[in-house]
Amino acid sequence: MTTLEPTFLSSLKEHLTFARELRHLEIHFDPEKCKGIWQCYEVCPIGCWTPNYEERVAVFHNPELCIACGACVLQCPEDAIELRIPD
Amino acid sequence: MATVFMKWLETSPRDYDRGIQLLTLGKIQHLKERIVREYIHPGMRVLEIGPGTGTLTAMMAQRGAVVTAVDASQEMLEEAELKIRSAGLQDQVTLEHLDASLIGEHYPAGSFDLIVSTLVFSEFPPEEQRYVLEACRKLLAPEGRLLIGDEVVPAKPGARLLFYLVRGPLVLLTWLITRTTTHSLRNFDSLLAQRGFQTEKSASYLGGSLTLFAAQPAPAGAFEPGLPAPVIDRLEGRVTIWTALLDLWLLFFRIIPPYPKKRTGLYAVGHPNPDSPVLVTGNFDLTVRRVVRAIAGKVDAWLLVADSAGINVWCGAGGGYFTAEKVIAALKSSRLEQVVNHHALILPQLCANGVDGWQIRKETGWGVHWGPARAADIPAYLDNKRKKTDPMRWVKFPLKDRLEMVTVTVGFYALLILLPVFIFWRSSFWPLTVSLLGLSYFYAVVHPWLPGRDGLAKSIPLAAIALAGRFTYSILIQPLPTLRLFHWAVGLIGLSVFSAAELQGMSPLMRGEQANWSWEAVIALGLGAIYWLGPLALGWR
Repeated sequence: MTTLEPTFLSSLKEHLTFARELRHLEIHFDPEKCKGIWQCYEVCPIGCWTPNYEERVAVFHNPELCIACGACVLQCPEDAIELRIPD
Repeated sequence: MATVFMKWLETSPRDYDRGIQLLTLGKIQHLKERIVREYIHPGMRVLEIGPGTGTLTAMMAQRGAVVTAVDASQEMLEEAELKIRSAGLQDQVTLEHLDASLIGEHYPAGSFDLIVSTLVFSEFPPEEQRYVLEACRKLLAPEGRLLIGDEVVPAKPGARLLFYLVRGPLVLLTWLITRTTTHSLRNFDSLLAQRGFQTEKSASYLGGSLTLFAAQPAPAGAFEPGLPAPVIDRLEGRVTIWTALLDLWLLFFRIIPPYPKKRTGLYAVGHPNPDSPVLVTGNFDLTVRRVVRAIAGKVDAWLLVADSAGINVWCGAGGGYFTAEKVIAALKSSRLEQVVNHHALILPQLCANGVDGWQIRKETGWGVHWGPARAADIPAYLDNKRKKTDPMRWVKFPLKDRLEMVTVTVGFYALLILLPVFIFWRSSFWPLTVSLLGLSYFYAVVHPWLPGRDGLAKSIPLAAIALAGRFTYSILIQPLPTLRLFHWAVGLIGLSVFSAAELQGMSPLMRGEQANWSWEAVIALGLGAIYWLGPLALGWR
């Protein structure tokens, strides 16, 4: 059967590796870069971000609830947020 | 299992190439050779729209043409780049990641002597075909030529009947082998004429079902440039027999393609005026109908349906199918700026994981506002002057959604597990059906209270509850021999792991969705095999 050709198996393997990595991804936030645009707060479906209005920065909390969807990373105009596996 | 299935659905560029070869019975290669032989001259400036894996691109460059090729798929471009590099043609070929609807703005007028596109136009909705043709007319130099090679529905009734008879099985076969399919153009001749092109000649293959259109822009004065005012359909959230049947199908078999798609483009909901808000969504039919149902009668709005490959916006964006390019393409080809007198798009919040808001803002000048996570909150969000409350942002996984998601998987497993059991092992059909459905729905109900963060962890208490229930039943109501009880236990543990693992990929709140999938597969399949083969070894069957 052509369905079990390398492309299918390798993409499945890639997906599993990705899924394993996904479990270990953590948000790294650089408050120095943050300009308080709060797109992260706008798009986070879990509520991991809240705006700090006095200091005009975003605050990351509830890391254990983060589902690593990557929305805040993509929408941050200052590249202040990264998703990576901690060393 | 759903993961394996979804992975199998994905097509690689190689699958695509093989699929196209198969669907056109190899004639696509003849068509490409003809293009190169008859129309390509050394030094010619060629724009190729949708090069795919770059076969024609390389052939044209080899002949000496200077080719610019634009494709919306990064994956295809990478494949094309490999081909171009290995042929040493990189000096003559420029590959660009660009949606076809943007070519008109991306290149200066009259930049190309030839614009060529094979099997691309048939993928566009009519509004986009018009828009791209308009751009092609602008980009062609005087005496320039447009070549469109595509599948067409033959005009003559006899040929059309033959076309459908041959194509039906061929499409199914090709899809099963390569998960690739194509669409066919209708009345393309007249569309070309409408858009100011004179068709010179068209070569056809396969009884007219694969055609090469060669056309030149009509001379100045013979054609009034500019597109007619866009035609905008109105969507109403009405329930018909068709939508009810579709909903029923999607309730059980949502993950099985082809996913019902809505034509991309602009729609009116209610009676919007030029000041009304513009909501963006994906082209999964169920998504569009749910959005319309949520707002019809409450809000007058424009609904811009962008191509998300027929997938819901969150998964479509996460999987790289629903992107900023797709939104921009819909925005441009629907000519939204002629319809409304503001520049604000409201995007579904849940596509923020894949649709780059800043790219849209930068490339179009339109403002991007992240709407609520759920369509049901759109009216309140608009009433609130586009301000979201926290509950509008946050995704929950309430009982109703859990039950829906379990039902979506159950339909698939009924086909995958219960149907074979019904055929080959009828005595086990009812116990298995009741156990699978019972466990899946029970799991959906108690899901938030089971300890553990992933499906594998949660399957342990689930299995414990199932075993306790089965043993209690055996002690109090119908005693069973130990070996039989053991057989039941194997089956129930296997099913618990299976159903808990399966719902995991459907849950929006579990990260690393299928990280334990390989373990789950090994455990569930292993126990399933013991459950299946044990009775054979013991002579029960």
